[in-house]
Amino acid sequence: MSDLTQGAAALPATNEPLRIAVRRMRWFRAAFQAYVEAMGRQIGCVFQIDEAKLAEIFVRWLEAVDRQRPRDKAERRAFFEFAAGLMLRELTTGMPVKAAAKPTAAAPGSAAEFWPEGYVCTLFCLTVHSAAMAQEYQERPELAPDFDDLRQWWSFRENAGQDAGFSVGFLQMLLGHQPNWMFPDVFRARLQTEIATG
Amino acid sequence: MLQPLPSPPDAMPLREALRGLRHLLRRGGQSLRETVQPMTLPAPAARLAERMLREVEQIARGVDEAASGLAKQVLVQPGPPAPTLQTMMRDSDGEAAFGSAGYAALRAVLDQLAAPEVFVSEASARLAYRRVAGVQGLTDVAACEAALTMALLDVRVVRDASAVDVARVPGAALAPVAVFAVLLWLQSERPEDEDEAALASAADLSVALCREVVAACRAGDVIALAALYAKWSAHV
Repeated sequence: MSDLTQGAAALPATNEPLRIAVRRMRWFRAAFQAYVEAMGRQIGCVFQIDEAKLAEIFVRWLEAVDRQRPRDKAERRAFFEFAAGLMLRELTTGMPVKAAAKPTAAAPGSAAEFWPEGYVCTLFCLTVHSAAMAQEYQERPELAPDFDDLRQWWSFRENAGQDAGFSVGFLQMLLGHQPNWMFPDVFRARLQTEIATG
Repeated sequence: MLQPLPSPPDAMPLREALRGLRHLLRRGGQSLRETVQPMTLPAPAARLAERMLREVEQIARGVDEAASGLAKQVLVQPGPPAPTLQTMMRDSDGEAAFGSAGYAALRAVLDQLAAPEVFVSEASARLAYRRVAGVQGLTDVAACEAALTMALLDVRVVRDASAVDVARVPGAALAPVAVFAVLLWLQSERPEDEDEAALASAADLSVALCREVVAACRAGDVIALAALYAKWSAHV
């Protein structure tokens, strides 16, 4: 299973809180580049990044975050995770990375080998989320025990291709939460599910 | 009694003239070769045309080198990173500061957009600044940037751009996108060591927002432009 703490070391240093830095294009880009490069070394894969696509993704992500941001500060914590899911939605829709070849150092049958681009984007979102949560709430989110289950990643790749919103639910699932599969990328709907399930 | 030293003459007009001359020579040589195309002529005429072109290009190169040498003597030395637009507006020398910072930033953005051959006019940047700085009651920064955008486009601070189709932006959008990027960067919060990265990010953001930026500029919609500046300057 991937270690999010280790991955956070690849993120560039900043004097600003991460929740602010990640909303700046220059940090977001530097972080994505550094993370993808580090992950590429780890799994033995060279990734190419399309900078123009990455900028479009960043713009769409911020617009989506601004549209759904809750006014109530009590919902802020839940929205942190949701915003990471929105980031994954935009990354999987725009897909700014391309693996030059199959990873040479990934475990056979692993998610990294199966879909290196999707894997690195997902881990990036989880890592940024985890680092921001540690900074804001002094806690590190834990990954679900079946994080490496290849069937989930098959399903993720298949479904995200048909419905972009699926990525938001997938990320919540990896963090051990139950998404609202009817409206996975609607924050209000997710909150209602949480309230209903207690 | 000691007399105060006279201010050194403003070298900007000379810089502008030399840049214009170099631009003309480079573009002219390229246009001539594209127009004549010796390869398409029969053999004896092709040889003659090729020789003529080489001689013309040699003359142009000589003048270009002389102009470059002169230009280097009057070019502004790179100084500290540009202050924000607000700071410039408060400064008595804001016009010159905006002209040189705007010129350098536009050149960098156009290079990033793969359009290095496009001409940038520092004199026009100053003129646009004068127009906006003279407007009373323009206190909101985003509104000021919007007015400055329209003024910069109106005085054609970026020239010969419409014929340049680069991979990332169509020629007609190049000037609005480049101007938006520079003003977005000028207003962004950035530490000194991130100045360059911030400009590159502003350019990328501007390209990503190309449709909205161009639509607002074409319509002369300063309210929409101001809203774009207000929203995105925090995200550079």
